[in-house]
Amino acid sequence: MAKKRNATILVAVITVAAVVILFWRPTVLIYGLQAAGLYASIAIPMGLILGIVHIVNLAHGEFMMLAAYATFMVCQAFGLDPFVAMVPVALVTAAFGFMIYKLTIRQALKSPELNQLILTFGISIAITQLINLSFTSQTRKMSFDYVSASVDIGELSFGIYNFVFVVIAILMVIGLRLYLTKTISGKAALAVGQNPKGASIVGIDVDKTYGFVFALASGMIGMMGALFITRSSIFPGVGGPFTMKSFCLIAMAGVGNIPGILGASVLLGISENFLKAFRGTRGWADIVFFVLIITVILGRSIKGKKA
Amino acid sequence: MKFKTSYLVAAVVAAIMIAFPTFLGAYPLNVARSVMTYMALAITWDMLLRSGQISFGIAGLFGLGSYASILAVLRGGMDPLLSIVFATVFSGAMAYALGFAILRLRAMYFSITTLALMEIFRIVIHNMHDFSGGPEGVVLPTVIFGGNASALYWLCLGGLFITIGASWFFEKSKMHLALTAIRNDETSARSNGVNIFKYLLITFVVTSAMQGMMGAIQVQSYGFTAPDTAFDANFTLLPLAIALLGGIHSTVGPMAGAVLLGVAAEWLKLKIPYGHLIVYGIIIILVILFMPQGIVGMIRRAGRAAGRAGKQTGANHE
Repeated sequence: MAKKRNATILVAVITVAAVVILFWRPTVLIYGLQAAGLYASIAIPMGLILGIVHIVNLAHGEFMMLAAYATFMVCQAFGLDPFVAMVPVALVTAAFGFMIYKLTIRQALKSPELNQLILTFGISIAITQLINLSFTSQTRKMSFDYVSASVDIGELSFGIYNFVFVVIAILMVIGLRLYLTKTISGKAALAVGQNPKGASIVGIDVDKTYGFVFALASGMIGMMGALFITRSSIFPGVGGPFTMKSFCLIAMAGVGNIPGILGASVLLGISENFLKAFRGTRGWADIVFFVLIITVILGRSIKGKKA
Repeated sequence: MKFKTSYLVAAVVAAIMIAFPTFLGAYPLNVARSVMTYMALAITWDMLLRSGQISFGIAGLFGLGSYASILAVLRGGMDPLLSIVFATVFSGAMAYALGFAILRLRAMYFSITTLALMEIFRIVIHNMHDFSGGPEGVVLPTVIFGGNASALYWLCLGGLFITIGASWFFEKSKMHLALTAIRNDETSARSNGVNIFKYLLITFVVTSAMQGMMGAIQVQSYGFTAPDTAFDANFTLLPLAIALLGGIHSTVGPMAGAVLLGVAAEWLKLKIPYGHLIVYGIIIILVILFMPQGIVGMIRRAGRAAGRAGKQTGANHE
């Protein structure tokens, strides 16, 4: 009962806050939602891996960075649009992710969590430095006309292109939900995520499932990498902060709770843009996620102690 | 008997290291300083690892110490040597305050949060333009000891000796038992009366203070720092690779790894200016996959196997 009342109060507070922000600084809400879409669509593949393979992939942002560079090359060479290039890039990234899984992560599944963390940390360094070695640390950018599309409502004018990411995030959640509950391989993946030993006893090929999930998530992040280049310039270190933010979102939502990532991203996106709206606090916006992660995890541990 | 020889070896090595400046030029001394800095950082990382907590925040505390020291000299007019002490205490105090929050986190949550620390400190320094010099960084009017290569070397060596001493003390005292117990099984450690939070906090504060100290020594020797050099990811990455390659959960391991990788790094830096760190990424991956014990662990295991083969009957002892 108390829990329900708390949840109701929370929802009420959030609604009131959203309405206040909407009237006072509408751009905060709009850009916050757009940022949330980007965060969520990057965090969801990581959440999938963490929820089913139980590996924290610290090279997650680097996968995206790699895909962005691949898109950059493809688009330059063939004059393709990133929205077209994202299909081959996603396939290549999926294959790359599968290879990484087979070569490294599979060997470390049985070892302590500590080793897995350091392993993926090493992979992230190797990828970043590989790009650094072959492309140097110079930033690269591609520009497209449709990115600057905007809409006027009354006096308010804002860019709408970034709502693409919101759509993608929602599609990802729905798609994953359908996949995990309706298809046989999805159900198998869910079972493996809950209990690998039990799943293998009833005849599910755990290793194959892990490999598939890893490849699927890598393909999704590869797609995001292809689209990322339309939004931002790229350099070897561009993925790093997204790894941390994605992890923060997953921790806030709770491991395995993929729809929860959407809510967490909205919170992160809006609070970051809230700080960005003021001149004095603009530089501090990047710390928000750190404050959030500490608050949420500490709050959860205190709640856990009480229960 | 065995103990005495190991002490003797340690004393001889220490004496040789102290005497280095008498027969080495400025460039080798500079290389030695960077090797020693990474060695000290690797040892401190390993000290916290012995409790099962992986920190990715070495660069954060290193940079924090370097800024604390340089700002104390520039803004507070402090004596450079005293500012190193100040930076040590400051980093320790900071770790103490942060420890109350982040030491309650475990495993991946702890690691990611420490990884974020580096970002946080960098953003804070970036944003305090008037006080910290912002993104352009700050320059000291003079380097400590007037830039005398031997004196700088001894200063760095002093920092390293303090670190080794602390690590050795942690290995020999009750701390070792407590930390190992926490690493092996936290629940049973707690039920046996180990005050987990206290020991973690002590270790975190001590290691952070020493990381800050090495940062302060580094910044005083170069007389310059900027957010991107002070909070360089290398200061997290290299110590990790060093400790892993050498062998974790010991003092000797990181030392051996630092000598190997430190010299190799210097060579690679000349050969491949961009992206030579890829070697470190690959070393980390290979070590984790194929020899998680590190070099020292492998030698130790080989020695044990040889000893067992010699005894022959001792096989069923384990």
